[in-house]
Amino acid sequence: MDDILEVLRTRKSIRRYKPDPIPDEIIDKVLEAARWAPTGENYQPWRLIVIRDPKTKEKIGNLAKLGSGSRMTAWYCLGEMQRRFEEIQDPVRRAEVLRFMYSGEVSEFAKQAPVVIAVIGTLMEGSVDVPYDLSACIENILLEAHSLGLGACWVHGPVASTRDAAKFKKILKIPTGMGEYKVIAYVALGWPAEARKHPRPKKPLEEIVYWEEFGRKERG
Amino acid sequence: MDRVEYFNDMLVRLEELLYQELSGCAAWKVELVGVDFIQSKKIEGKTENEIIERCIREITGNGLVKEMTFSIGGKGVLLNLKMKDCVHLPKEARLKKEGITPFICPIANMILDQLIEKLGYETTYLAKLDIDGKTKECRVKCAIYETTDKIGTVSDWAREEL
Repeated sequence: MDDILEVLRTRKSIRRYKPDPIPDEIIDKVLEAARWAPTGENYQPWRLIVIRDPKTKEKIGNLAKLGSGSRMTAWYCLGEMQRRFEEIQDPVRRAEVLRFMYSGEVSEFAKQAPVVIAVIGTLMEGSVDVPYDLSACIENILLEAHSLGLGACWVHGPVASTRDAAKFKKILKIPTGMGEYKVIAYVALGWPAEARKHPRPKKPLEEIVYWEEFGRKERG
Repeated sequence: MDRVEYFNDMLVRLEELLYQELSGCAAWKVELVGVDFIQSKKIEGKTENEIIERCIREITGNGLVKEMTFSIGGKGVLLNLKMKDCVHLPKEARLKKEGITPFICPIANMILDQLIEKLGYETTYLAKLDIDGKTKECRVKCAIYETTDKIGTVSDWAREEL
């Protein structure tokens, strides 16, 4: 069996895509990967909606912009965004980045993605692990997409608030009852139009791993 | 039996549970908590001032909050609320004591709901909830977006305390 550590290490969230379409057989492989995610008691609560219609993607992109922008505008006005990006030294560049964030434009990219996959879960079949199963499903999608040369991004923010989640359901004609389906996120997919120049720093193992009990750093 | 204490105790358990499950984004899920009360009151008005004033009248008139004032600033995007002796204050105090920053404000949710339902506001966001147990005051900062082009309207809210 192949070691997939390099696939894991080189994956990053890609938000800019070439306009080239994704062939059906590639989409099918990504969906097949999703199907094999771990799931509590094998319930497989996930349902996947593959979206290629530009009008639908436009609506999703607008909703994403609204969701992120509404929160980030407030965070900027409270000074929180400025603290988050204070490591950017150039004031002009920092202002550009901040405006990109609080305008919500940072989350509009579903419009340009050739494919968007909405990941939802049924709440009606008894599964007790729906959010966790769906998260594992999304991770499988991201890893398979990356291994096939696609770029992808897991997007939760636009469906995070209760009202936005309801709007998202209406766009895709998902039943809106709170006991029916959970919308956890969507994944935007496309051939990457950006490269990974600087991998985002990851915390070293020494910082995040304990041995035998919480707080114990020695391997023993 | 103190019914208010009983219900606040249940809210504390639910709020800490939500935080444990969802961490920071729990705050984004709770915007409908409290709206049933205000939706039953048939609030009417043509402007945000009218809607907010009528909500406050119902909220204070029914004893949910003793005193309540508001201001709108931040180029029309900031709604400041100040409340004294809110019926939910014991909930907030207990959560703070347990190390969780309270994130459910049913009272603010009521007003934001009516701006959306009655005036068609595009979206709203409860941005900051400050509780002072000593003075029994809550100060809430909400973002209110009448239209999508209000997204990105920025200013320094620290200069606009109520």
